[in-house]
Order: sequence, then structure tokens, then C-alpha cells
Amino acid sequence: MITYLVRRLLAAAGVLVLVALLTYWIFFALSPDPAVMICGKTCTPDRIDQIRATLGVDQPFMTQFFTFLGGIFMGRTYGSGEGAIECAAPCLGFSFQTNQSVLDMIAERMPVSITIAVGAAILWLLIGVSAGVISAVKQGSWWDKAAMMVALSGISLPNYFIALVLQYVLVVELQILPFPSTPAFGEDPLFWFQSYIMPWSILAFGYASLYARLTRANMIDTLGENFVRTARAKGLSSMLVLRRHALRPSLTPIVTMFGMDFAGLLGGALITETVFGLNGVGKMTSDAISKNDQPVIMGVTLMAALFVIVGNIIVDVLYTTLDPRVRTKVA
Amino acid sequence: MKNLDAAGSNSLLEVADLEVSFASSAGIATVVQGISFTVARNETVGIVGESGSGKSMTSLAIMGLLPPKAKTTGSIKLHGEEILGASERHMRKLRGNRMAMVFQDPLSSLNPYYTVGMQIAEAYKAHRGGSMRAAKLVAVDAMGRVGISDPQRRVDSYPHQFSGGMRQRIMIAMAMCCEPDLLIADEPTTALDVTVQAQILELMSQLQNESGTGMLFITHDLAVVSQVSQRVLVMNKGKVVESGTTEDVFSTPQDPYTQALLDAIPRIDDPIRALKKVEMGMVSEA
Repeated sequence: MITYLVRRLLAAAGVLVLVALLTYWIFFALSPDPAVMICGKTCTPDRIDQIRATLGVDQPFMTQFFTFLGGIFMGRTYGSGEGAIECAAPCLGFSFQTNQSVLDMIAERMPVSITIAVGAAILWLLIGVSAGVISAVKQGSWWDKAAMMVALSGISLPNYFIALVLQYVLVVELQILPFPSTPAFGEDPLFWFQSYIMPWSILAFGYASLYARLTRANMIDTLGENFVRTARAKGLSSMLVLRRHALRPSLTPIVTMFGMDFAGLLGGALITETVFGLNGVGKMTSDAISKNDQPVIMGVTLMAALFVIVGNIIVDVLYTTLDPRVRTKVA
Repeated sequence: MKNLDAAGSNSLLEVADLEVSFASSAGIATVVQGISFTVARNETVGIVGESGSGKSMTSLAIMGLLPPKAKTTGSIKLHGEEILGASERHMRKLRGNRMAMVFQDPLSSLNPYYTVGMQIAEAYKAHRGGSMRAAKLVAVDAMGRVGISDPQRRVDSYPHQFSGGMRQRIMIAMAMCCEPDLLIADEPTTALDVTVQAQILELMSQLQNESGTGMLFITHDLAVVSQVSQRVLVMNKGKVVESGTTEDVFSTPQDPYTQALLDAIPRIDDPIRALKKVEMGMVSEA
């Protein structure tokens, strides 16, 4: 188990370096000169050279990349002499737009993204999985047909469209909910809930649809398994057959999917945050992309990759407790 | 078929005019067509036939495990009590308790997510109640009885950690843990190699001698059925084409289909020849 974990962590580190190299290269190749961007309209060629030297962008590509990578582990210093700027590890650099540390920017917006992700995840797991189970058990019934129809629309309708319609109906017309915002929980829990419920629901809808269909398909497969027939032949109650023998094998693949989806969302729900104007990591990313703020994009990409990779490892380790057959292979 | 009713009123299982059909858009498919037979205590009745002859459907009908869309008519009596059409609740009390079943493929018939001990214990607990811990002790005992060495330790192993023969022993332990009156074995040795097959057959007859359980043994293997059963039914296309004592059926087969089946068995003292084909046209359309 420990060798397995060490192997996985080493592989994860390799993947992260690769992701970093790729994103760094894309922005190195595509971005306009950052020094020009920072310098602004009233700028002299001398000043641009000076900024270039401070940022290190006058260096060859690989040198720049390793300086960046080194900054993450050991910190780095921008420029030299009196005007030098220290950036402690893990250093992701400074935004070209606001000069703020990228790490601080992410840390500031992370709580909003986490709140959105956790709330949505609870909703979609509860609704998606139970709808899928009921559909599978009552296969072909009006419930099954209706649920799968809704699920299909959840998958095919773009969520920014539903978001805008809901916002118009619930907030503008009926005035049941406030405009989505990001208040603190402690001040007014009810207002906090009302502010977040729409983003949660919108985000959860698409995922719940997918999870319902997947759970239904898995469950129908499992219900046809010989061991379910054995369980019935033992005289177990239908509830016990469902819960103990059919549900557990059907849910293991869901765990894998959930781990990845949730980890991916921690990197920011780009569309939902942008549509509702919620100041999370997703909205920050979309702003950074539109303004070509390379350090921010790099930072967010790396962080998102880290979440997905770590999420993946957690799921795999969890799998060894969920599926005894995997446990034997790993041990 | 009259001779099969010889067991008379002390029958454990009485099946009469059993018919199983499935309605589909293409029409009604009748997979079991009016079969009748009995099984007495401590007796083994074999049902032989090729795939699709309706033998497994017969066993599932007795257990009440047919899919809901199947239509079943006729009569199935266990200890004289009509169980065809009995409520699901009542059938649940009988399944695994008064009548139990061993299936063909022990690997897929055991849930890979639970220990074998737990799977045996839950069968016991479902009918006898008590704590899971007490049921687990019964499981250890049951595993010992079917010849699994070191059952105290193996009780916490998972199905994939056993060999095919051991898995089938576990299935048998599970079926026998509530000491059922009737055991239905649906091709219990088909997925096993020949030496293991012999061990399993020996174990089943030994357990039967100890408990007096009546057994319905379903197989396509004529050699196996001649070894285990006192009486035999030959099924084809959902009908019983021949029945009688195993000795009679095997020594003087009356139906052309049975004759063809027996003729198709390669014999070591025969000159080498191509395998004989069992013609479908041989079925006596009674």
C-alpha cells in the first residue's frame, strides 16, 4: 500500500510539472509582451527593457520556466538591487493587472468556490443518485420516463441559459430570491443560503442529470447480476437485496466520477460564477483570460491540476476500501 | 409419466401441469409446457435437457424467482401447500429456508463486495433472526461441514480469494445453512472441472444423507444425472418427453429424443466416429 502510494505521488508530481511546462509554453508562445502590458501607454523602450529584466522574460524559455518552477518550491526575487521584490515560496508570481500576489488572489477567492462546489455537490449527489436508483427499480414507469426526460434536458440545456431564465423569473419577476452574491455565513445564515441556492441548483442540475443516468444504468446492470438472484433466493427482503446487494456495486463507479468532478469544481465553476457575477476562482480565471493576465492563468491552471490529481489519488485509495478485489491487488 | 406420481401423498414437492410463458410483441412464447413431477424426502430427481429446454425456468418457477413478466399456471405444492401464486412475503419465508437453490456459476452468484461468511450468515439471519455475530458462527460451522479447511479464518475472505470448487462449496453451505427440505441444484457442477465436479457431487449426496433433503438436480450432463438421481425427467422444448427411474430411462429409453441423447455420448469402447447429431425433428409432438 505504501509503495503504491509513493508511486502514485511521484507520478502525480511528474504530471504537474508537465502541466506547468505546457501552460507556460502556451503563454510564452501566444501572449503579447508582458512588459508592454505592465508598462502601459506612456512607456519608453528603456523602461520596457527594465521590466523585462525584472520579470526575467528576457531569458530563454527553459530558464524562465525553471525560474518559475523554482519559485514555487523555494521562492524567488524579482529584479535586483533596491527595487527587488521578494516572493516567498510557494511563489506563483504577481498579476500583471493588479500587481497582487497570485497566491493571495487565489486564497481570497477560494472560499467562494469551495462554498459553491460543496453546496452543489451535496445537491447533485442526493438528487442524482436517488433519482437514478428509483428509476432503475421502477424501470419503465412514468417516474422513470419523467426523471430521464428531465435528466436529458439537464444534460443538453446549457446551464448559463437556465441560469439567466431562473434569475429573471425568481429574482426579477417573482422576487423570491435576492440577486446571487457571496455574503459571509456568520452574518445572516438565511440570506447566505438564499444567495447561494440558485448557483448551487444551476450547477447541480447538469451534474445531477448525469449522475441520475449513470446510477440508473449501473443499477439496472447490477440488478441483472447473478448475485442479486442469489440474494433473492436466500429469502432476503427486497429492501435488503436493493440496499446491500445492488446499491453498493452500483455506487462504486459513481465515487470515481464524483472525486474527479468535485476536484475539478474546486478549480472554479467558471460559467456559473461568471453568469451570476460571484467572485470565486472561476470568475477570476475568466477575467484573467480576457485580460491576458498570464501569471494568474498559470496559477489557477496549476492549482486546478493539483486538485484533480490529488482528488484522483484519494478516489483510488478509497476504492481499495470500497472494492475488496482491488484491495487484494494493491496490498 | 404416471410412474412419477408413485411417491404419492408423502411427496415433498408436487408440480402439476406447470406452464410458464412470456408475452412479447412477437406473440406468446411458452417455455415450459404443462410438466408434472414429484420429489420425495431424501430423494434426488434429475431433470436433463439441452439449453433452452425449460429446465432452469422450471426451477425458477418453483422458487418464485421468475421475472415479473412471466406468466405461470398449474400447481406447485410444497408439503401439500400450494405455493404458486403465493404472496411475495410468503415466498420470501420459504426461499432459503424451506427450499434453497445452488446456481451454476459460483463466482458470479456470490457478491464480490462481501465476505463469504457474511453472505452465508445473512441467509441464516434472514430466517432464524439473532445477531450477525451468532449467524457468523453458524457460517463457520456450515463452511466446516462443506469441507472448507480453517473456516474460522476463511469466513472473512472474499469470493475472489477462493477457487471455483471452494466457491461452489460456499454456495452449498449457504443453501444448506437453514436445513431446507428441498434443494434445487441448477447445473451446480457445470462450471467446474471434472475432479472438482466429482468432489462436489459426493459432498451433495453426503449432505443429503445427513439431512434427508429432497433434491431437484438440473443438468445437461447425462453422466452426472445417472450418478446422482434416482429418477429422471428428460425435457425438450419445454415438455417432459420421458420420465422414470434413472435405470429404466438409461437402459431402455422409449422416446427417440432420449435415445438420440444417449446415443450422442461418445463411448470409450466404440470405434472412432463422428459425433452424432440430435435431430430436433425427433421430438415426439405429444
